[in-house]
Amino acid sequence: MNKTDKFCLLCAQPLHFAPSWQTLLLRCFPPCICEKCKGQFVRSTSATALYQYNDAMKAYLHQYKFLQDVALAKVFRQELHAQFKQEKAIIIPIPMHPMKQKERTFSHTEELLKAANISFTQLLEKVTVETQSSKNREQRIQSAPLFRLMPEAQVQHKDYLLFDDIKTTGTTLRHAKQVLLEAGARNVRTFTLING
Amino acid sequence: MNYKGWLLPPALRDFHEGRIWLKEHTPFAKYDIEQAINRKYFYIIDGIQKIPRVRCNRCYNDNLHDFTEYDCSKCLQKCVYCRHCLKMGRVSTCTPLLIWKGPKACRIKQHPLQWTGQLTAQQQRAANELLESVIAGKSHLLNAVCGAGKTELLFQSVHYALEKGLRVCIAAPRADVVLELFPRFQKAFPQTLIHAYYSGAPKQHGYAQLILATTHQLYRFEQAFDVMMVDEADAFPYSFDATLERAVQKAKTSDAPIYFITATPSQTLINQYKDSYSFIPNRYHHKPLPVPYFCSLWGYEKSIKRGKLPRKLKAWTEERLAKNEPFLIFFPTVELLNLAIPLFQRIHANILAVHATDPERKHKVLQLRDEKIPGLLTTTILERGITIKNVQVAVVGAESTIFTASALIQIAGRVGRHASYTNGEVVLFHHGVTLAMDEARQNILANNKEGSNDE
Repeated sequence: MNKTDKFCLLCAQPLHFAPSWQTLLLRCFPPCICEKCKGQFVRSTSATALYQYNDAMKAYLHQYKFLQDVALAKVFRQELHAQFKQEKAIIIPIPMHPMKQKERTFSHTEELLKAANISFTQLLEKVTVETQSSKNREQRIQSAPLFRLMPEAQVQHKDYLLFDDIKTTGTTLRHAKQVLLEAGARNVRTFTLING
Repeated sequence: MNYKGWLLPPALRDFHEGRIWLKEHTPFAKYDIEQAINRKYFYIIDGIQKIPRVRCNRCYNDNLHDFTEYDCSKCLQKCVYCRHCLKMGRVSTCTPLLIWKGPKACRIKQHPLQWTGQLTAQQQRAANELLESVIAGKSHLLNAVCGAGKTELLFQSVHYALEKGLRVCIAAPRADVVLELFPRFQKAFPQTLIHAYYSGAPKQHGYAQLILATTHQLYRFEQAFDVMMVDEADAFPYSFDATLERAVQKAKTSDAPIYFITATPSQTLINQYKDSYSFIPNRYHHKPLPVPYFCSLWGYEKSIKRGKLPRKLKAWTEERLAKNEPFLIFFPTVELLNLAIPLFQRIHANILAVHATDPERKHKVLQLRDEKIPGLLTTTILERGITIKNVQVAVVGAESTIFTASALIQIAGRVGRHASYTNGEVVLFHHGVTLAMDEARQNILANNKEGSNDE
């Protein structure tokens, strides 16, 4: 279980992986998807996201979040690791509502970071069970507070980096950022896997 | 006066009988399910069994690579889930599976058979042999060439089993075959409730005593069927995925017989069923099977990649168009198919292509059948189970490993099925002749010889 994958996690084709000096010395993760599947994800031009949203991404998110395929958290671990390994700020993944998380059995943002071997802390908690995707643009932008600080959470006068899987209008990230800034954070930046 | 107790909704019983279902995915109200559980109408088992070895209790997958361990937020410990049958809703350590053991649905014993066709002497003989096996309750292998009329000769046996009050399942490896069989069975048994299950099938109500399903869908049944028929048992993916074989065993009751029906049985299957075996070497119209011929198409892949259709292939297609004959052209890979389709559309704009993940696959095949389009390019998904009048067939890249002997026999079997068009072309365009190609040709020639002796 959870060993090197012999088959592509997305299309189940056999993976041909020969470790090279480069992969060994640079301590790369072994690949878990094939080159063909990899080629369908388009890198984002934005500085605050890794990928663009497209059909392949839609299928990925569906399988990962809706079909609860936790194994897919590994798909972007190399890219996420490269992005965050030099990061000085404290990384905070956007939390799910505890009830929602229990329903899905895992937090998708935390699993992405765990798979990429990136340490993170959690200071926020979600207060609503409504999903952003069920609302239209106006409703999203005018929505009531989505987050609050966890009880006994200590926000220091430091830099923070919020991480989420996808950004569409940016409402979720804006709400979370505001809570942290009001609690005394020096600076809060945001980063997402996908730019919607 | 109101009745305060709980009554079992018949729909719940009809749905759950014979099924193995995730508790979280049941379509019924939580209250009803809880009540049924309290009354011990359900047998509840773990989704993933750990002892003696890790196994998914729905799809019987026990390959460790298909399991993933994760930190579960629901039970706050490490849980394991099965990736093999993920698309049917995730089965994990903490998701219980429900198996019905409550009151049984009532089975109807009247299933009038309205089929007026006439079986040939050979078909009748095989049908009788099959029926004898059904009556005796023993397994049977029916080997009949493509276009022998296998479906029709099942009617008698299915009819007998249904009227005995048995639950019958006809499983086929592919959704296309299920979709082809469904209307034929519904026509033959107009008063019988028949359910057809395949990925993406609509919701169907009631308790069906006759079920047509893809072998994948059998994961969702347990101890359900008293008679199990497996059509095209040698086809991908059935013969490539051991869990499907186990699914067939799991879906039937422990002493139910299995009937294999195929045009290309493997030697092991033949050896297994030596004493209850029927063979039909002839087509129902007594004309010999079209014999494939080989035609070299050197470097076809390079040529197509350069955007040029090989001359011989182009000539063949143009001839079909000129003669107004519908055609199917098989390709070994989806990539090559996608490269080739614009080249073909330059010859005739209405030529279309289908592959496994094409959402319009059903519609496109129908268009070809209704003569609305001149031809279709396809991958091996259409190799079996489809019947199109006067269709002509070409295989591009017949040397590819995906075209096994049985696949080629099946592909050749698409041709000349209609009684008024008993002949047609099967051409294997190749970049070198393989053993599989020779074997397919030899097999067809041998069947034709046996068929002519049998007359």
